[in-house]
Amino acid sequence: MSKLAFLFLIPVIISITGLIPQSARWLPKFSAILMIFQLPLVFGICSPVFSGVEVGSGDFVMDGIGAAFTIITTIIAAAALIQGSMTLPAERLADEHKMSDRHFCLFYTLAGLFICTMYAVPLTKHLGYMWILIEGTTLLSAPLIDYHRSKSSLEATWKYLILCSVGIAFALFGTLLIFASQHNTGAANSLVISQMLENAKNMDPRLLRLGFVFCLLGYGTKSGIFPLHNWLPDAHSEAPSAVSALLSGALLNCALVAVWRLSQLVTAAGQGEIVRQLLIPAGGITVIAASLMLISQHDLKRMLAYSSVEHTGLLTIAIGIGSGQLFMLHAFNHSIVKAALFLMAGNLLYTNGTKTINKLSGLLKSKPVWGILLAAAAFAIAGSPPFGTFISEWLLLKNIFSAGETFAALCVLIGLTITFIAISTHTGRVIFGKAQEPKRSAPVLKWAFVPMILIIVSFIAGISVNPSVMNLLTYLAKR
Amino acid sequence: MNLSQIDFLAAAAAATAVMMCGITGIQTQFRFLALQTALFSGICLLEGFSSHGQHMAQFIILAAVVLIVKAAGIPLFLMWAANKMSIIRDKGNTASPPVTLIMAFGAIAAGYFLIPQFAVYSAGNPVSAGMAVALLFIGMIFMVTRRLAISQVTGFLIIENGIFLYGLTQAKGMPHLVEMAVVFEALIAVLIAGLVILRINRNFEHIDVTQMRGLRH
Repeated sequence: MSKLAFLFLIPVIISITGLIPQSARWLPKFSAILMIFQLPLVFGICSPVFSGVEVGSGDFVMDGIGAAFTIITTIIAAAALIQGSMTLPAERLADEHKMSDRHFCLFYTLAGLFICTMYAVPLTKHLGYMWILIEGTTLLSAPLIDYHRSKSSLEATWKYLILCSVGIAFALFGTLLIFASQHNTGAANSLVISQMLENAKNMDPRLLRLGFVFCLLGYGTKSGIFPLHNWLPDAHSEAPSAVSALLSGALLNCALVAVWRLSQLVTAAGQGEIVRQLLIPAGGITVIAASLMLISQHDLKRMLAYSSVEHTGLLTIAIGIGSGQLFMLHAFNHSIVKAALFLMAGNLLYTNGTKTINKLSGLLKSKPVWGILLAAAAFAIAGSPPFGTFISEWLLLKNIFSAGETFAALCVLIGLTITFIAISTHTGRVIFGKAQEPKRSAPVLKWAFVPMILIIVSFIAGISVNPSVMNLLTYLAKR
Repeated sequence: MNLSQIDFLAAAAAATAVMMCGITGIQTQFRFLALQTALFSGICLLEGFSSHGQHMAQFIILAAVVLIVKAAGIPLFLMWAANKMSIIRDKGNTASPPVTLIMAFGAIAAGYFLIPQFAVYSAGNPVSAGMAVALLFIGMIFMVTRRLAISQVTGFLIIENGIFLYGLTQAKGMPHLVEMAVVFEALIAVLIAGLVILRINRNFEHIDVTQMRGLRH
């Protein structure tokens, strides 16, 4: 059995335990403890990749990109489930219409399976399986968004389900077109990327380009590229905060990994021009559009969701200029900080009973620890030093200029400036001002622990990026 | 252009999609959807015969799965859900059914003109490629112009059928495991969507997506 199978062990145990309604009382803590063990386990499985040895065989192989995104998914999933072990039972106790044990445990069953599919996406080298797994993430996460079973969460779930399913259907059409483009290579048609790369030069450029366009439409919908992002602010803001962290910190990356894999194939087939022509402007426009939409937000979680759209734009540009190392670095930095922010937003939603920015004021007075953490995380997501996002955004901007993409560079510069102002203003309204009377009390230090660790990780990522780290990332991107 | 048997069935499937655009009765729409999908089952069998026995067994299994799951199971489930919610008609939203019908004819014409862009000539049956693209357009038109959530699922299934048609007739050699998985994913997606629609009906007392505006900030 491949070592990769051990990646899925703990999420599967969580899923199976969730099938037992009697486990509702101890399942949150049990899953949190298991996810703590998952961290060293995943690092252990991924470590051979850093020394140049691929893990796994057949259609599921862990390369550099696969290892990086497996680690990111693990950190985000661990953070979400550890924080969830504190907030979800508290929310359940405070809920007037007490959620049944069955419903509560179902959350863990689906969350475990959702994590499994997110692990499998960056590992597969088979375009068909990749599509099936990404569609699987949609079907498994839709009920998680509807966890609260409110009217608004139901509406968000519907939008998510229908838009992403149609989007992913286009990705399937694109996959078929890419498969069909091998008709004149002389070899048997295949969906395995390594086999396709061998015959890439002989692929039919007409069908390959069309296939890439449809795949971009499909996976772009899933990752939230403008104007296909419509589902994202609703789903991310209505889901429980642990799920929002998973959606924003891990799921968006999965769809972008699919775009990365396809862009490598299309470039190898000598059609790299279409990758640049589509991805760089799409990313630039996404950054600008998201930053403009950030200005008018009144809801803390929606603001964070639009910030995710902006970072999707940045990651799309990184893929467009063919920089695998910056794609990994920025995905890591964004995921860590965004998860911290969503988990903090969840804490505030619990104590204040609202996500409306105006009704959350005076956090620094009422809960100074949360206030300082939120300020640090907001600075980090807005791309300020000394956090990791600053370094990756700076390097990205430098690379966009070096690639001669002036339009995209201008979009990024303007977008990042607007974003910084918008996020600072909105978060400032939460941190400063008159302290609001909390609706519920919560253990401030205990609930701040996970976001604090994530912000420290972002800080360490910011100060430790040096040429040798970049060389390692470049090496991993080429593996 | 001479039509092969497969092209003929593909064109017939596209014709059923056009007719669906002009129909307001939900149950009739599902019957046409079932007919359309059953035609794909026929195409599966014809593809099996044309493979000269090489993959005959696999094509027969695929045809049976399509017939049972997509042509019978999914429409029956949707009929049950519509009955449960007492949904009889969807009169459309932005465009009335006659206008949608004309748009669907336009989609067929667009599909025909796009044959050179999408067809794999070595695979034969180029008209099927055009009809597959037409089904994609018609599915989107259906989704955009209908009012009810259940009709959006129908539109999604028309799109899925278009993609399935393309895979069957143009992407020769597609692993059957992947095709089967796609069929079952569609089934699970429809089941989840159906359950969500039933919950929407309970919570909102309607399934009119144009009235679901709670999250439009």
